[in-house]
Amino acid sequence: MSGAAKTDPLRLGFMETMEVEGRGYIGGLLITNQNGRPLEFQCTTPVKPNRTQEILFGETLRPWLLGELIGCTLLDRVAIKPSLIVTSNLHLLELRNHTHIPVACTNDARTKIAEQGGTLRIGGNILRFHEAHGVDAELLSKQKHLLPDSADLAEPLERVREALAETIKTVFAR
Amino acid sequence: MSNWPNEATVDATVVSGNPEQSTTSEILTIDPALIAEARRSTRVDVAQTGFNPALGRLPTIETQGYSLNTVLDFVPSWTARRIPMKCIGLTLPDGMEFMPPKLDSTTSDGTQLRKIAPPKPETSEPVDPDKPRKATRIKPPADALSLQDRLFYLLQPPLESWLAGQELIMPFEPFAYQYEGIAWLFASQAALLADEMGLGKTMQTITAIRLLLRSGQAKRIVLICPKPLIPNWQREFKTWAEELPVVTVEGNGPRRRMLWTMPGIPVLLANYELMARDIAEIPDDEQPKFDLLVLDEAQRIKNRDSRTAEVARSIRRRRSWALTGTPIENRPEELGALFEFMEVIPKAASPDLRQLSKLAKKYILRRTKDLVMKDMPPRIDRDAELELTDAQELAYRTAEKEGVVQLNDLGDSITVQHVFELVLRLKQITNYDPLTGESAKLERLMADMEEIAASGGKAILFSQWTKTIDWLEPHLKEFNPLIYHGGVPTKQREPILARFKAEPDKHILLMSYGTGAVGLNLQFAGYVFLYDRWWNPAIEDQAINRAHRIGVKNPVIVTRFICKNTIEERIDRVLREKRELFQAILGDGDNENVTLSMNASEIFGLFDLKARHKDGSKSIGPKPVKAIADAA
Repeated sequence: MSGAAKTDPLRLGFMETMEVEGRGYIGGLLITNQNGRPLEFQCTTPVKPNRTQEILFGETLRPWLLGELIGCTLLDRVAIKPSLIVTSNLHLLELRNHTHIPVACTNDARTKIAEQGGTLRIGGNILRFHEAHGVDAELLSKQKHLLPDSADLAEPLERVREALAETIKTVFAR
Repeated sequence: MSNWPNEATVDATVVSGNPEQSTTSEILTIDPALIAEARRSTRVDVAQTGFNPALGRLPTIETQGYSLNTVLDFVPSWTARRIPMKCIGLTLPDGMEFMPPKLDSTTSDGTQLRKIAPPKPETSEPVDPDKPRKATRIKPPADALSLQDRLFYLLQPPLESWLAGQELIMPFEPFAYQYEGIAWLFASQAALLADEMGLGKTMQTITAIRLLLRSGQAKRIVLICPKPLIPNWQREFKTWAEELPVVTVEGNGPRRRMLWTMPGIPVLLANYELMARDIAEIPDDEQPKFDLLVLDEAQRIKNRDSRTAEVARSIRRRRSWALTGTPIENRPEELGALFEFMEVIPKAASPDLRQLSKLAKKYILRRTKDLVMKDMPPRIDRDAELELTDAQELAYRTAEKEGVVQLNDLGDSITVQHVFELVLRLKQITNYDPLTGESAKLERLMADMEEIAASGGKAILFSQWTKTIDWLEPHLKEFNPLIYHGGVPTKQREPILARFKAEPDKHILLMSYGTGAVGLNLQFAGYVFLYDRWWNPAIEDQAINRAHRIGVKNPVIVTRFICKNTIEERIDRVLREKRELFQAILGDGDNENVTLSMNASEIFGLFDLKARHKDGSKSIGPKPVKAIADAA
């Protein structure tokens, strides 16, 4: 993307996780330009918490596993660092505590995020940020103009889910 | 009464850490004063019956002392550690970046273009996650086996947002079936896009090419088409992908060779004749390599032994696409030639009907207007069955009688060519009597044209013969006819079409099937006349679809002139009966173009003659492709 780097100032990251039956969780991170064109994709091998981790982490297990463990690994791995990470999994907001990149969760049937203080609307999506990082919404609202009005920030997440399902089917289900 | 014992022995073990570490043990005697105090303060309501005198004894308490460890040597400990995991990565290839199209969205012919309307941004209502969005996703091709290849396709955005995101300027937003076609082409190594004429094969191909270049899947593409269609493709590329540099192979030999072999040309446009000539002359070590080879009007290579077909197959490429509205013109074996070009069957293989049908499902995408354009204004076919004029009748019967007698006289030396010549002579008489100039068709045409001209309409007339067209021109003077056939130099053809479109008093365009049947967009004409019948209804349909195609706003009225009790009526009957013979190959709903032209036996049958030659199954209809080549 040598040429694109000059004209595409915004890189977006779309992160999702998925449970692989009996093998734990895998995560995927898709980096796109502001128009949703894919630039890079990384996904993890499955990771499964053991019984001790399940007991000791309690309710914090998933934020730790998905946000910190899988999220940080993916973010470390991608060569193109995004300006924003979008997810549809509230547990992944934990990732924000381990990176300076804003992490936002979109509204969907699961997250049921409503527009309120601390949220940000981009295109047709409402974004919710980590409670401890409320400044992210303000920061991003200043970059909002870089995204097209038609941007649908939930759509690339579908692609990531499909790619994860394909990966599970092709590699891990053997 | 109280039964407290005087003395109690208690085994008191002081546990500190591991009980096995006890080191001392001793008997401890309790002070009686303490026992007395305990009696005063505590009463135990047990053993009041005195049945167990042992309870009356004071317990003896034994204690054991243990030394305490100052350092714990077992601590259940756990620290959160990162569980090791691996990553699977995919970096998508660099795509080509082009200069964005100009903001002034007007084509060379003055047509105002508009951008695809992006989805309306919702300002007050949140997105309903359950509401399905319009999205055409690209599916990985069945032959993409590696995970990386499959992920590449899965991770591409829906076409709607991809195109909108590139500010693609289009005369109109693609229809859903066109998005599907683009997605299918984009993901196909071998593809035969066989949409019925008028459904936008050109646009789908150009857009798929554009996306291949944008996504880095292709860097060098060559598109081969019949020579008369070169200006059409140039115009369409300008309209649909203005930013793409398209270079046409033309000029003298050295220049053409340079163009063929020069790297860095994203899209190369060439005609079949130059392809066949030039590629064969380039030495093996200099042969160009392409990421994609597209053959337009791919029925040109239906004869797999032809030089054109051989050269097309020899071109080095990674992807092979073929475009045609008539994948089968005559025989199902023609599909085999296309499949061989697409490298999905071995060289010289002859798949049977079942195999062809299976291959067709995988590699052919064909949609008909009936299936996808339900809202398109209809095409109204009406057969004008005409009585020959007296002079025509006389000329016709005389010619027929003499002709049949001559054929019978030929005996065993009769060939299909003899019969064919008679058919042509009779057909020409049905057009007009060469002696008197009388014509039932012309009379009918004049009547219809008066009505059309009075309402400001425009009509296209097709004939098999340029001679007929030239004969018609002076008779149609009042309607300001324009002529477009093989006798018109190529450079003059585009301006003729432009005049026909722009000048309101030009009411009729006279075209030959060979030159005017393919690739032209004349959807502003509401009337089509087939002055005489072509040998193959597929070619007639191609001609009709110049007018009845996407963008047409009103119904198109097609009039076929058929003279009663003549050879035309018999030919029509034979062709009509054969229309559905090969539907099994291309599926249901295909009622337009899958048909056969007449073979020799059938031509003999027109005069109750039997094929006496071993080439009885040979197709004798003039080849439309030849006509195109001749016209070029």
